[in-house]
Amino acid sequence: MLSDIREKSIEKVVVAACSPEFQEHVFRGVLEEAGLNGHLLSMANIREQCSWAHEGDVTEKAVDLVKMAVNRARLLQPVDNKELPVNRKVLVVGGGFSATNVALQLSQLGLQTTVLEEDAVLGGGVGALESFYGFDPSLITSAVQGDKNIEILTSTEMIALEGKIGDFRVGIRKDGEETLRRYGAIVFANGYRTEPALDSGVKPGPNVVSQEQFSSMLGRAALGTEPKTVGFMFDFSDENSRYSTLATLHNALEAKKKWGSEVYVFYRSVKVDSEGVEKLYQQARDCGVVFLKSEVQPRIAVENGQVRIEAKDVFLGQDVALACDVLVGEELCLPAEGSEELISFLNIKRDSRGFFQDENVHLYPVGSERKGIFFVGGCRGELDFARVLADVSSVAVNVYELLSSGKILVDVERVKADPQKCVACLTCIRVCPHRAIELVRADNSKEVAGISDLACYACGICAGICPAKAIGFQGYRDEEIVAQIEATGESLNGRSLAFCCQHSAYPAADLAGRLRLHYPQNLRIIRVPCAGQVDVFHILKALEKGAASVLVMGCEEGACHHITGNTRARERVRYSQTLLKEVGVDGGRVRMLNISPNAPHKFARAVNEVAKTMRESGR
Amino acid sequence: MIIAERKPMEEIRQLIAPYKKVLVAGCETCVAVCWAGGEKEVGILASQLRLARGAEGSGISVLEATVERQCEREMVAEIKDKVAKVEVVISLACGSGVQTMAEMFEDRPVFPGVNTTFIGMPEKEGLWVEMCGACGDCFLDRTGGVCPIVRCAKGLLNGPCGGTRKGGKCEIDPDKDCAWVLIHGRLEKQGRLDVMRKYYPPKNYRAVKRPGKVQAAKA
Repeated sequence: MLSDIREKSIEKVVVAACSPEFQEHVFRGVLEEAGLNGHLLSMANIREQCSWAHEGDVTEKAVDLVKMAVNRARLLQPVDNKELPVNRKVLVVGGGFSATNVALQLSQLGLQTTVLEEDAVLGGGVGALESFYGFDPSLITSAVQGDKNIEILTSTEMIALEGKIGDFRVGIRKDGEETLRRYGAIVFANGYRTEPALDSGVKPGPNVVSQEQFSSMLGRAALGTEPKTVGFMFDFSDENSRYSTLATLHNALEAKKKWGSEVYVFYRSVKVDSEGVEKLYQQARDCGVVFLKSEVQPRIAVENGQVRIEAKDVFLGQDVALACDVLVGEELCLPAEGSEELISFLNIKRDSRGFFQDENVHLYPVGSERKGIFFVGGCRGELDFARVLADVSSVAVNVYELLSSGKILVDVERVKADPQKCVACLTCIRVCPHRAIELVRADNSKEVAGISDLACYACGICAGICPAKAIGFQGYRDEEIVAQIEATGESLNGRSLAFCCQHSAYPAADLAGRLRLHYPQNLRIIRVPCAGQVDVFHILKALEKGAASVLVMGCEEGACHHITGNTRARERVRYSQTLLKEVGVDGGRVRMLNISPNAPHKFARAVNEVAKTMRESGR
Repeated sequence: MIIAERKPMEEIRQLIAPYKKVLVAGCETCVAVCWAGGEKEVGILASQLRLARGAEGSGISVLEATVERQCEREMVAEIKDKVAKVEVVISLACGSGVQTMAEMFEDRPVFPGVNTTFIGMPEKEGLWVEMCGACGDCFLDRTGGVCPIVRCAKGLLNGPCGGTRKGGKCEIDPDKDCAWVLIHGRLEKQGRLDVMRKYYPPKNYRAVKRPGKVQAAKA
């Protein structure tokens, strides 16, 4: 290939061989070595998605795939890459256990951090950790204070955030004075808060306490009168009761050991999904803690300096009543104070309980949809100690990888809004799941959408939705997609065309081929960066050109690499179906399918089923 | 910005039923921004019409064109060659664009493909709300920058109707804010509630001289 490209002045290259998922980077490397831009490569996947996927003679399909790749190659344009400088400083928001540990680890990796804490002192909720885990949290705060790579700002608020990875501009307020600082990445570690979940008639008091108050009672040298009977409650108001469960088991054991109290634990389920908790639970049982399982929240009343608890025990099948000196009530774990405000300028999604980080498997453990913004510890939900430590290491590695060299290699303007066509309607800015777009004034001319090469994940969702068709994604521009549809010419008639997401359905199709899961030959696949890039007019165009059915295949819901791509695709498929019905065409010819990359059987089954439906309806 | 929405397909198809050659003409300004008549919607409608042709076996050909602003004669003139090739034009521009096109090409029908609905703004992605009734006698200075003519269901000029729901919602549509609650809130913030004490006589709609004309002071 090298000598052919050099000697025959080849301008663009089509490789008809294996899947691009498999070897595209290798062939790109060959092009680059021969002096061609690596993006001038188009691959026809005639192995995984053709010869391996079908029985019998596959020549006709292979020829079609090559035609599609050639037609696309005609339009390909070069994409340069270059290194952009990034700020190596990191902002850590929060001052508790997670935040200080992140700062320490980053410091060891040679990165400077600012720890920004709203309170007057560092520490956050670490006080409770001492009794749980038996270490002195002040050691960590003093380590942070003595570290030359760590700047500590207490009594300081974050009030604004602009910019992108490598250059976040953060507005902060300290002692009434507002200043602007710049950071390359931001780690949020601002923890959680707890709130008692008690019956409306019961108020916290000397007999009804929180886990934290109980811990401090246990920590005191002498208590006057030690409680003879202690009750605990958890898992009634909130099923995600990791915090309550862990604290209960620790404190119940401690009360038993230290005071020899009688301890009764009322619970619905004991969740033992953290390291060592099964053992802890067993220890508690062994030393005489009594566990009483109830399906409904026990009734509580405070009378004569005691707390009366009534519940129906599931195992005994009868009512139980208990008078105890102290009840440690159930607590809910909630997002920290001020999270609302932070989220308003972060402009990202939260999970269904209001914690940071959207429920999307690709963001776990510490990522967000915005490059360079991370979440650690309690701010992203109820985590146990081991998980927090894993978070801290994970974020340190992630940040180090991004910023350590002080520069990031990016594709230059691979996704770009044509300033001539952009009408600055802001649609792309509103839909970009990675918040990579903002209005810019290019060369002092009119305002247009500016896509940050650093922050962009190249999903093409903006290109798909742009009402002015101004955004082009090199390699997947409208004309390049239409060229593939048109390449097959008449042979598309009666066949199915699938737009397959490169993260999910496309590799699933490859895997189906590898496993020789045969499916009908009449499927033609166009690889797209995300199902969210496929727009209504692509779908209609394929039908117009003769496709019997059009399939849009993306990730499973809740698992889109670009957060909203697959749900947008689903809505567009629905809209296409409506548009088709309007003109008397069967809407069932367009379908949305969610296929994860490791689901080749689902892929093959879906394609077979579509082929069967088509046969039955006579197409 | 002018907001429009696509006419029902059935209506468009009846409009063009007698014709075999159709041009779908879009506009790259307001209607492109509100997803009703830009290059993309032109492509979608054209595809739909071609698919309908395929489904019914009728032989029509559909051309596509989009101009920068269809309310400008000079810009509309740029697509005259395409217009010359068809019997009828479906314009996806606002009423003003349709009329400009109709005036430029008087020898053939130019039909609207969208309903021009109001002057408004985007509330969020894909949702536009009415803000201005173009009444020709603006009094937003007295109403804290909230126009009760279009944002109050009854267009009241002197305070709410008495049917305001809890939470400041409209009695006619509980999903909509009561404009007068918004006005009160805004004026309160500015310490200008006294403005609401003054009575305003029924609005002089005769200020709206039809057809309207605006002459810039400086030519």
